[in-house]
Formats: sequence, structure tokens, C-alpha cells
Amino acid sequence: MGEFIQLVVDGLAMGSVYAALGLAIVLVNQSTGLINFAQGGMAVLSAYLTYAFAGMGLPLILAIVASVIVSFALGALIERFVMRRFEGGDPDTAVVATVGMLTLITGVCGWIWSYNNLHLASLFPAASFGLLGAAVSWRSLGTFLVILVIMLGLQALFRYTKLGLALRAVADNPASSALSGLPVGRLLMVGWGLAAGLGAVAGALVAPRLTLTPGMMDTVLVYALAAVILGGMMSPLGVVVAAWAIGVLENLAAVYVPWIGHDLKIAVPFVLLFIVLLLRPQGLFGRKTVVRV
Amino acid sequence: MSQTSFSPDLTAAVTTVPFQRRTPWWVWAIGAAVVLLLVVAPLVMDIPTNQMLARVGVFAVAVLGLNVIMGYTGQVSLGQIFFLGFGAYVTAYGVQQEWPILLTFVLAIVLPGVAGLIVAFAAARLGGLAIAMVTIALPIIGVPLAKRLSDLTGGSQGISARFSDAPEWSGLADDQWQYYLVLLIAAITFVLVYNLTRGKFGRALAIVRENENVAKAMGISPYRYKVMAFTIAAMIGGVSGFLYMVVVQYTSPETLAFHHSINLLASMVVGGAGSIAGSILGGFYYVFVPNLTNEIAPTLTALIQGIILLVVLFVLPGGLASIPHRIRRMLRSRRADTDSSPSHSK
Amino acid sequence: MIRTTRSGKAIGVLAVGTAVALLATGCSRGGGSGDGGDGGAAASPGITDTTVTLGVTTPLSGGTAGPGNCTVAGLVAYMGAVNDAGGIEFGDGKTRTVEIEAFDDTYDPQKALSNFQQNASDVFAFTSGLGTPTNRAYREAAIADEVPQVLVMTGDPIFSDREESPWQLGFVPIYQNEGAAFGELLAESGEELTVAVLSQNDDYGEGYVEGFKEAIEGSSVEIVKELTYEATDTSVDAQLTELAATDADVFFNAMSITPLVISAIEKTKELAWSPSWFLPSNTSSPTAILGPAGADPAAGFYSVSFSKAPQSPLYAEDEDVKTFLAALQEYSGDYTTTPDFPHCMWSYMVGATLEEAFKNTEEPTREAFMEALRNIEGLQAPLMLEGTEINTTEDGLPAVSTVVVQKYNGKGYDSVEAFG
Repeated sequence: MGEFIQLVVDGLAMGSVYAALGLAIVLVNQSTGLINFAQGGMAVLSAYLTYAFAGMGLPLILAIVASVIVSFALGALIERFVMRRFEGGDPDTAVVATVGMLTLITGVCGWIWSYNNLHLASLFPAASFGLLGAAVSWRSLGTFLVILVIMLGLQALFRYTKLGLALRAVADNPASSALSGLPVGRLLMVGWGLAAGLGAVAGALVAPRLTLTPGMMDTVLVYALAAVILGGMMSPLGVVVAAWAIGVLENLAAVYVPWIGHDLKIAVPFVLLFIVLLLRPQGLFGRKTVVRV
Repeated sequence: MSQTSFSPDLTAAVTTVPFQRRTPWWVWAIGAAVVLLLVVAPLVMDIPTNQMLARVGVFAVAVLGLNVIMGYTGQVSLGQIFFLGFGAYVTAYGVQQEWPILLTFVLAIVLPGVAGLIVAFAAARLGGLAIAMVTIALPIIGVPLAKRLSDLTGGSQGISARFSDAPEWSGLADDQWQYYLVLLIAAITFVLVYNLTRGKFGRALAIVRENENVAKAMGISPYRYKVMAFTIAAMIGGVSGFLYMVVVQYTSPETLAFHHSINLLASMVVGGAGSIAGSILGGFYYVFVPNLTNEIAPTLTALIQGIILLVVLFVLPGGLASIPHRIRRMLRSRRADTDSSPSHSK
Repeated sequence: MIRTTRSGKAIGVLAVGTAVALLATGCSRGGGSGDGGDGGAAASPGITDTTVTLGVTTPLSGGTAGPGNCTVAGLVAYMGAVNDAGGIEFGDGKTRTVEIEAFDDTYDPQKALSNFQQNASDVFAFTSGLGTPTNRAYREAAIADEVPQVLVMTGDPIFSDREESPWQLGFVPIYQNEGAAFGELLAESGEELTVAVLSQNDDYGEGYVEGFKEAIEGSSVEIVKELTYEATDTSVDAQLTELAATDADVFFNAMSITPLVISAIEKTKELAWSPSWFLPSNTSSPTAILGPAGADPAAGFYSVSFSKAPQSPLYAEDEDVKTFLAALQEYSGDYTTTPDFPHCMWSYMVGATLEEAFKNTEEPTREAFMEALRNIEGLQAPLMLEGTEINTTEDGLPAVSTVVVQKYNGKGYDSVEAFG
């Protein structure tokens, strides 16, 4: 039993890592209708910035705050000067543009900070405590709680604030929004900026565990995308629940289903995704979209 | 409107007379010159160039497969490399077991095709992004699967299979023989796909791509066509896998790693989505750019490739294959042509 | 289709003309048409009277770029110092400087082959490349074209088998070797020990485990659980939970991914399991792994090595280490100036081995070089630990086949003779 709980706890911890990136992806999708393949890369860049600020002598928490601010600005600039061009056109081209951004950002990180594994300190202490027979580390708990708070914050943003409404309007129908007087360009920039800021937090949470390398978020991105689609593309709650589910189920399948084992456990999120989408195409928490023909 | 290179003019067949049935002499001349160059080139070029051109052929076919499902049908697929890897493994296994090479070739097409069919049957009902995730799953699950089935695949050490050394009767060097083999098979594949996309099948795919509901209203089942397109893309992937083995003669789980799919996607878009010439240009991009970055600065590969990709996308969103189209548009606008006929893309 | 008559005709004429012209002149064919080695005296490609060019195809970007950059950095550092001192005097009397060309293959076998094909006629020999699939991809082509592919960074035994690979030679000990070294240590202790195994799911991990198993056969050491992980995994927590449940005495790790080793050490502490550890030579660095993970030396962390760890305070005053670090700083700016991975030290030793081989190369040909390379015995390359040496004379063994078992002491490693 202890093993089972341990696996669940660890699954939730890893799932929080996926959720961190997934939330940023959902944010970009909610505000610009694009899937940003470069989200992970941007989060890594933000984590490197945190590392750089901390290296300059700033206490960790300030370094993270500084990185969030700079990332917000970077995200807004990237939207304005790189992505704007592709937003109205062929979605395939937009996806490839984000892939180009990912390659470029990875290359920049590798160039400036090399490909060695760098160590970023964690906000939380390294100790652990016991819970129901399982060992829980403060870092995992901290990540879990921070993600929960961010998720609730995003839900509130989109449901109850004017900014959230404006962002959704712009993503849904830029032409009408412009006609209604919304500053479409600026809102798009805000959307990307917020996502980048969120990515900075995600990076700071995740980097102590995975160590800083330019490719740190590459595998996490795949899981995050699966969580986003599984949870319903536009729902922060959905992506977090889906990410947790993926983390836990992966662990359980690896240990309790021997023929899956630890090498094929990566199939679990995809099979799960597949089954859920067959039964419920809008994802676990998504809303059905109606398209006028 | 999202299209840049293939806009079917649905009213054309009804209201306008087909423009020119007889292809003018200069098109034949260009065609003949190109064919002559392709055929004679390896006899005079040096070995590394032939080897590079052969590799371009391999990935041009891979990008062509991706184009069938993405460029022509509009469905995002990030799993094309899986079919290439599958085809390569089938070829390697067949060569090791000393099956007749023709049988191996056929299997390298059929087996990935069957896999594609099965995946498509299940996935084609889902929305676009969901299909994308399913296609991502293919290489990601494919790698550990290739390692686990080590009796068939040689595990993580891979399989070496030398079978494309030039036979005695041809009098050719190894690199020339490989080049001609790739040229022949790639040319046949390209011609087949060209005919397919020019005909009714291609038009149906275009309609499915533009608007699925309109397609349904016209009696074209999007589900059926997506399944067909996916299966064809998988078979072409298998062909490219066979050609991969001809040229590289070694395969391992690394061959089907997911990040290659991303590179194929980028190559397709840079070459020009939904176009035959674009697939060939995509193959050039896939092979040349790493060599180029090695020349410039081998440690800055990712940086340079990212810049090149973004620059191409910025300047030519339709890909390199849209250059003639853009030039024509520029020339036309410069002549201040107020043409009454609708601007017909290629 | 080209519509406008004028531009169409023009392109048509241009095309035909170009085709004819190209065919008439044609790129010259015949440079290295792979027809086997030339006669004895004519020099091989990549070597002149004043320079010799080496090629390295290795991952310089992507996931394995950390070690990949190190495989070039150390070599460049060594040769940089050698060139500054005037070069190497070859066995034929000429003094030559060494040029190193590095190519990025992003750990993709197809690109490694491409790098080989594009550069085999400009380069004297390929060396120091990282990775099994990448080296395997061009191994057969190197044999067919008779190009040396030597001192490569993979523990795959095929490269040191003279019959299978006449133009190759491995550098690092084969994986089986390292696993066996530790297995022997355990077996010799005579104690009844239970072992939990976590290995990387590829030839690296498999090799370690194979060697270990062979060494403990028939002894009182027993493996109670064996699990694997993928190099791309983000976490090995689930495997650790399973393994910790066995409460084994020894934890045998064949892991090459730094963050996973660190999280394994931390997780084991959380799960209140304190086995003795075995770590492979490339993931046992005190400063990069054991320190950050808070490893407790009392638990018993063992590793095998043949190279001194420059970051260890034990070697702070060591002459070799000081020279090495200075050379890295001065010459390897393009790659990396800090030896975060042991490959930096290893490629430095490759440089020393190549120098020795060149000194005995009596003719500027690849054949002569291979002969000289295969005759090195008892070479103590700089940075090598006491008790290890370079010996290339044995068929089936790579350049380094002796390793020393070491135990972590909180700051660095001490060589040990027995377990416990």
C-alpha cells in the first residue's frame, strides 16, 4: 500500500511539472488561438535568466520575479515581431514558426550558457516528510501548491475579469473584436506576455529538479501538449487535472502492469488521450465548439 | 483564406475553356534538360556530391509523404518519421534474412501502409489537434518499442545492412548505383503522387482540406479520404525508409526519434506545402542545412537553423516553391495588368 | 506551368544551355573514388608535410551536446598546446601541426554518416566521436574506404575487435569491463549481498549489467530486482520506489543522465533506503552530481575510473591537472572551458595517445598510422590514475581497459581494494 501511495504522490509531483508548462500553453491558446511549440523553450530561457540574475547576487525570489518581468516583455515582443505575421494565415505555417522559435531559443541558450547541466536552487527546502506511509518532498509539495494557485488564478482571470473576456474575444474573432473597439494587437501581446511570465514560474519550479540545460523542457512539452488536449484546449482546470492524471497513471501502469514496464509507460498518456477523445472529443473539461458552415 | 499554393477553382471546369492542352516546346526542353542532368550528373560528379544527392532523394520522398497528408489534405501529422523508420527496419530485417530484395521492397511499403491504415481508421474521426497528438505518439512509442523488440530490430545497437553495393554487371561505382536506385524509385513515387493529386483524388483532398462540411455536402466523405491520404502517406514513408537503408545502410531506434518529425515538418513548409517541387526542395533543405551549419559554426547548429527557418518563413510563407509564383506576381503587377480572369495559382 | 511565352522560351534555352555546359565541363570525378589504398609512398588525404587534419563527428547541439562538446574540447586543448610548442615530430622525420575539424551530428546516425562522407577525403582520420549509433553508422563506410575511425568514445566492443573492425579502435573501456570491475569487488568480499539494478535501456546500460552479472556468477552476490529507464525520461521516481521496496544492500546504477542520478540519490534518501552505491565513470563527479545531491559518503558511493577528477580538491596541486585546466581555458573556448563531463579528460588523453602514435608513424599514410596506433603499450597519458595505462596491443580490447575502483570520501575519490 505504501508503494501505491508513493507512486501516486510522485505521479502528482511529476504531473505538476507537466501542468506548469501546460498552463502556459493553454494561456497562449486562449488568447491567440495558437499552439505554441516554443513554450517550453521560452520557459527554459526564463529559467536561464533566473539563473543569471541569481548569479548576479539577487536572492532567489527576486531573481524569479525579475525573470518573470523580463519574460513578460520578451513574450510580448515575440508575439509582436515574430508571430504576428503568421497569426491570420495558414495554421501549419504558424506551427512551424513556433518550431523555428523553439530551435532558435534552444540555440541561443546553448550558445550563451553552453549545454552543460547547470544548477538552479529551489525555493523550497530539500527535506521531505511522511504522509500516509509515503515520503513527500517539500519541493514536490511546493510545486503542486503553486500550480494549484496559478490554475485557480487563470480560471478566475478568464471567467471573471474583463481582461480575460477581452483575451478570449480576441482569440475567438479578431475582426469582430477590433470592430468592437478592443485593442487587438495589444491584447495579443498581453496574452503572450502572460504566458511567458507563467513559463518563467514553471521554469523556476522545474529547473532545480531537471537541472538547467537548453533541452530541459523537450520531453515535458510532449506531456504538456497531451495534457492540454486531454483536458480540453481552453481549460486551465482541465489541463492541470489531466496532467496529474497522466503523471499518476504512468507510474501505476509502469509498476503494476509488467508488460508495459518502465520503457513503454510513455504510451499510457497517449492511449488515455485517445480513449477519452473517442468518447468525448472536446476533452475532459472542454466545451463543445460550434462552427458555422 | 489560408491557402498559398493550391486553390482549386471549382467553377473553372464549368465556365472556362481549359487553357492550353498542348504543352509548349520550352516546357519539354526544360524537362529534358533536367532529366538529362539528373541522369548524367553522377557519372561526372564526385562521390560526396552523389551521396548527398542520394540523401536528398531519400528525404524528398519522406517530405512528399508528409505533404500528402499535411500539404494536400490539411491534417497535421508529426509521425512521418515513424513510417520511415518502420520501412527502414523492415528493409534491414529483410536483408539480414536474405529475402529477395523485391519482396523486401514490397514489404517495406506494405507493412508501414497497414500500420498507417490502422492508425488512421481509429484516429481520423478525431479533430485536427487530436490527430496531431496521435501522430506524435507514433515515434515516441516507436523508439522504446524498437528497443524492446530487439530480436527483430537489433535493439539499441541497431542493424547494419549492406546491400546497395553496385553489382558487377552495371560497371558503376557504389555511390552512383545508390544514386540511380534512389533516383528511379523516387521518380516513380513522385510521378504517381503527381498524377494522384492532379486528378479527382487530389481535388477531393483539397475540398476536404478547405471545409469538411462542404465536402460532406458534396458527398465526399472526409473520413474516408483522410484514411486514404494517411495510408498513402504511410506507404510513401515506407518507400523513403527503404531508400534510407539504400543510402545509410544502418538503422537504429534513433532513426525514428520524434525530433526528426519536427525537422521534416519544417522542411515541408520551407520547401512549400502542398507542392511536388516543394517536396524536393524540402529534401534539399533537410540535407543541406546541417552541412551548411557545419561549415559556418558546428557548435551553433540550432541557432543558425532557427534563424534560417524563421527567415524563410518570413520572406516566403509559401515556401521556396512559391518563388516562381511570387516572381510572376511581381512581374504581372509591374506590367500593371488588370487581368479579368481570376488569378489562377499553379 | 509557365504561361508567358517570352519568359518561358528564355528559361527553356537557358536550361538546355546550362545542361550542355555542365556536362561538357563536369565536376572532376576521381578524387578518392574509393578504389582501395594507394601505393605506399603516396600520402593519404588529410596530411601534408606540415599539417595533419583530424575529423571529429560528435553531437555539438541537442540533448547529448554536453559530453559531445567535451569530446572535442579536451582534444583541442591538448593539440593546441602541442601546436604552440611547434608540432609533433612524426616517424618520417617531418614535424607537423594538428588541425582539428569538428562536425555536429546531433546524435543522428544519418548525419554522422553524412559528416563522414562529406569529409573523408579532406581528413586524415576520424577520432573521438561520441555515441554508439553514430559511430556504428559510418563504421562500415570507414572500413570500405579505409579511413581510420579511432579512439572513439563508445564502450561498444565491436570497435575493438580487429577482425570485425580493422580500421577502428575504441578508447574508453567497454561497458562490460566497468560493470565487471565492480562485480568482482563485491564477489571478492565473500559477503552475502543483495543488489538492486537500475540501468539505461540501451547498449550502454545493457553492457554494464552484462559485465556485472558475469563477474558475480557463482558468488554470494544476488540481484533481487532489475529495472530500466529511458534516457529521455524526466524522472526515475517510480523505478526507485519499486527498488527501495527490496531494501537491497547494494544499488547498481548504469545511468548516464546527470539530473536523473541526482534525483535518484535524493529520492533514495527520502525513501529511507541506504544501500551502497555503484555509479559509472561518466556520472560520478563529486562537483556535478554527488555534491548537489547531498550524497552521504558514509553510505558508500563507489565508482570506477581511469581519469583524475580535476574538480577534486585532492588534485588541486597536481601538475597534470593544472596544465589541463589551463589548456582548456586557453584553447577550447569554442566548445567548453569547464570539464563538466569526464569526456573532456578522456579526449585530452586521446590527444596524448595520438601524439604517441604520430611519433611512430613512419610514412604519411593511414596504414602506417594504424600500425603505429596499435603498438602503444604502457603509456601513462596525463590525467590517468595510478594503475591504469593506455595499451592498444591487445585484440578485442580498447585503448583503455584497466579501471580503478574508487570510493567517495566527501570531497573526491580514494582508490579502494575491497568492498565495505
